[in-house]
Amino acid sequence: MSLMTDDVINFTSMLRMSYDFLHSGRKFNIKSNRKGKKLISVVFPFSDLVFAAKAIPIFPIRLEKFKVNTYLEALNSASGLFGWKAVSNFLGFIRKFDFLKVFDGIIDDVINSLNYKYNKMYDLGIEEGVSNDFCYGIKALYGMHSSRHNNLDANLNVIIRCSAFNKYYESLKRFNDNLIWLDIPPRNIGNALEICTENVKDTASQLEKLTGNSITDNDLRKQFRISNECRELYREIIYEISNSDFYPCNPATFSEILALLSISFQDFNSNAETYLKNFRNLVKEMKERIRKKIGMDVSNRPRILLTPRFGGWEPESHNLIYKMGGRLLYADWEILGALENIEVYAYSDPIEAYAKFLMDITTKGIGCDNNALTDSYIRVARKMDVDGLIFIELFGCHSISNCYTMLRQKVRKELEIPTTALTFNKIGENIEQVKIRLGAFMEMFN
Amino acid sequence: MVDLEFFLEYYEFLKQEKEKGKKIIAYMSHDNIPEELIDAAGFIPLRLIFSGNDELMDRGADYLPTSTCSFALSTIGLFSVKPNKYRFLDLIDYLIVSNHCVSDICSSEIICKYFDIPRIDFYVPYILSENGLKYYRLELIEFKKKLEEIRGSSISNEDIINSIEKYNKFRKNISKIKYLDISGSDKLELYQKALLYGPKILELRDFNINNDGQIKIKNKKNVILTGCSIFLGDDLIEIIEEGGGNVIFLDTWVGDVYFSQTLEDNWLDQQKENDPFDILTEMFNRNTYTDHVVPNFMEYKIKKIVSIINNLKEKLGISNIGVINHIIKFCDHMSLPREQLKEKLQAKNYFVLNIERDYARASHGQLSTRIEAFLEMI
Ligand code: SF4
Ligand code: SF4
Repeated sequence: MSLMTDDVINFTSMLRMSYDFLHSGRKFNIKSNRKGKKLISVVFPFSDLVFAAKAIPIFPIRLEKFKVNTYLEALNSASGLFGWKAVSNFLGFIRKFDFLKVFDGIIDDVINSLNYKYNKMYDLGIEEGVSNDFCYGIKALYGMHSSRHNNLDANLNVIIRCSAFNKYYESLKRFNDNLIWLDIPPRNIGNALEICTENVKDTASQLEKLTGNSITDNDLRKQFRISNECRELYREIIYEISNSDFYPCNPATFSEILALLSISFQDFNSNAETYLKNFRNLVKEMKERIRKKIGMDVSNRPRILLTPRFGGWEPESHNLIYKMGGRLLYADWEILGALENIEVYAYSDPIEAYAKFLMDITTKGIGCDNNALTDSYIRVARKMDVDGLIFIELFGCHSISNCYTMLRQKVRKELEIPTTALTFNKIGENIEQVKIRLGAFMEMFN
Repeated sequence: MVDLEFFLEYYEFLKQEKEKGKKIIAYMSHDNIPEELIDAAGFIPLRLIFSGNDELMDRGADYLPTSTCSFALSTIGLFSVKPNKYRFLDLIDYLIVSNHCVSDICSSEIICKYFDIPRIDFYVPYILSENGLKYYRLELIEFKKKLEEIRGSSISNEDIINSIEKYNKFRKNISKIKYLDISGSDKLELYQKALLYGPKILELRDFNINNDGQIKIKNKKNVILTGCSIFLGDDLIEIIEEGGGNVIFLDTWVGDVYFSQTLEDNWLDQQKENDPFDILTEMFNRNTYTDHVVPNFMEYKIKKIVSIINNLKEKLGISNIGVINHIIKFCDHMSLPREQLKEKLQAKNYFVLNIERDYARASHGQLSTRIEAFLEMI
């Protein structure tokens, strides 16, 4: 049985977010479900402009059909009739009698089917000609596009410092000529912010042209307010809830929630308003459970930060760390600067505010050099007050996850906490080795 | 392949320049570095275009994962091992950290940090657009400021224009060798030496570019080499020649991609009174074949290869030309589009071979077998 099922069955917001993540994307494969809106693929949490253009952003794996859909479909139908809260209570009730074994598997299925699909997309990427030498993320993303490009109207390509990724963007031309680019100047020098603002304007007009909708300042402000609130809630989970001595669920579930948030944060499950509502509920439920002491005392468990996760990582890690007496935390978007707020003032230019947000991410987070990036790792680890740090050396990554030598030195000098590196190639490939490495690492806390 | 004597000569050359008070500014970046500004500042640009071997790659892997491109690993390795013939690396005063690719950023940063070389940043936009050009100009301004700070005085526009003319003449001269009736390895050697010496090569060497009219390469199995450059010390071109082939055209950065970046004389004359940054920015704008930029790299590449093949047919009467796409293992720029490039060229009925390799000695045998089999097909 899943480590998480007991926790999640009464955790409505989590169930809802998982449902939305796995299910709400697939329906967009059918054109009539898009209600005349354009479907635009996004990666990284840069979907604000797409929402403002009244289009649908989608992280393309969400167009895939997941095995668990039959269970979740039933839940969704029930939720349509009785509401999510009632469904969740009902599930909790049924679980007590344990005669519907099927529910034991729901969350396991969510996680497993996602991982299974990721690996499938990875294999497809390789089949379609991506060299084995590239990172897990690029191979899987290429596979996703190869699988679902017919359903997409365009791809939003936001330039980052990773040259492999920029080349990957270009390679998508093979599937879809409609590539909408957003260039971010690599450094904030001279009037680079002005240039970035013009770039954002260009991208916005390409989106307007594609969708036939104009993007007004108010559309942007409204969207930024929504996404800012999501960012604030996200930071609250990372810095406050994850730092507390009592967790609203067991620590492995907590890691699972952090992972789900980080994956779904890229396209806000294609519906920013619902996503925000779920996010609010999630934080509320978490706090309530902590207040009522529903969950788990984790005061004696060391907090371990694992990063980077977004290009690919072994999801089994948090179960292993849990079994070894720790709690594993994920905070990639905060490290990469994507959880900073976008300035929203009634009389300022929102396009410029968005440009500033992107420039800050480029210079302080994802950065143009490893110095800035490693400083960011240190900043977040310090602020989260973690006890240890696990760094993922992702095979084939030449950008974000190749600065371990530099990071290790900074951690030693500035944080003085244990650190280790795990190599990663494909989900499920190296679990035994991961177990051994994590075991040795966790020894340091005994 | 260049011999030991060349390295000694080059060391002497740099030493003499340094003794004259010139600073040596090195960089890994393959393209878009405004060496005209370095020259106008009175400094010497030093391109790090040296290939590697097992030992250098291993030493590089002390700093970056082994899944980093072999060229980048080896370049770090060079600074770590400092083999005797490379002692000219000790003469470097500054290193440019640039973003030709992300391996360029990471390895240059490591070289500066761990081998104590002051860095100068110069970043290039990824998208060639009006705004990209505006940004490139900003970097030029910053770069000039930095060079002025180092030399302690300002660089005049006149000096920059002079350097632009000097480099333009240099590129034009060297670019003539592309249709010359000499072997691919001889061409490569000239390109490599020219890149290291810069315009000085026209003064230093008895550089006489003449075609004697005998088309000796006609009897060979001719191939165009595209993709990653063959760096100094790499014997790939010899392997091709030993297999009975000849690289008739080097469509790589150490080759025609760099040397075809020329400006027409009358255009340049008209620009002389203008801001030299406009000229340098225009040069970046025209550099459409660079593998750095997106989103049209592939289209331009295909177009260029087709035009090279047509020109070779027309100028030298050579048909049946194969294409070898050279990919240094883990190269971001060349590895990802390799299958698409091959498909598109094959659709035009060209013979194409993708060779992906690192600098490990052990892979040589397999490499020559594959190349020989390919040459057989032509
Ligand atoms: S930064 Fe690394 S993980 Fe991310 S896309 Fe680039 S190579 Fe892949
Ligand atoms: S060979 Fe490729 S990856 Fe390596 S430095 Fe050159 S462009 Fe970058």
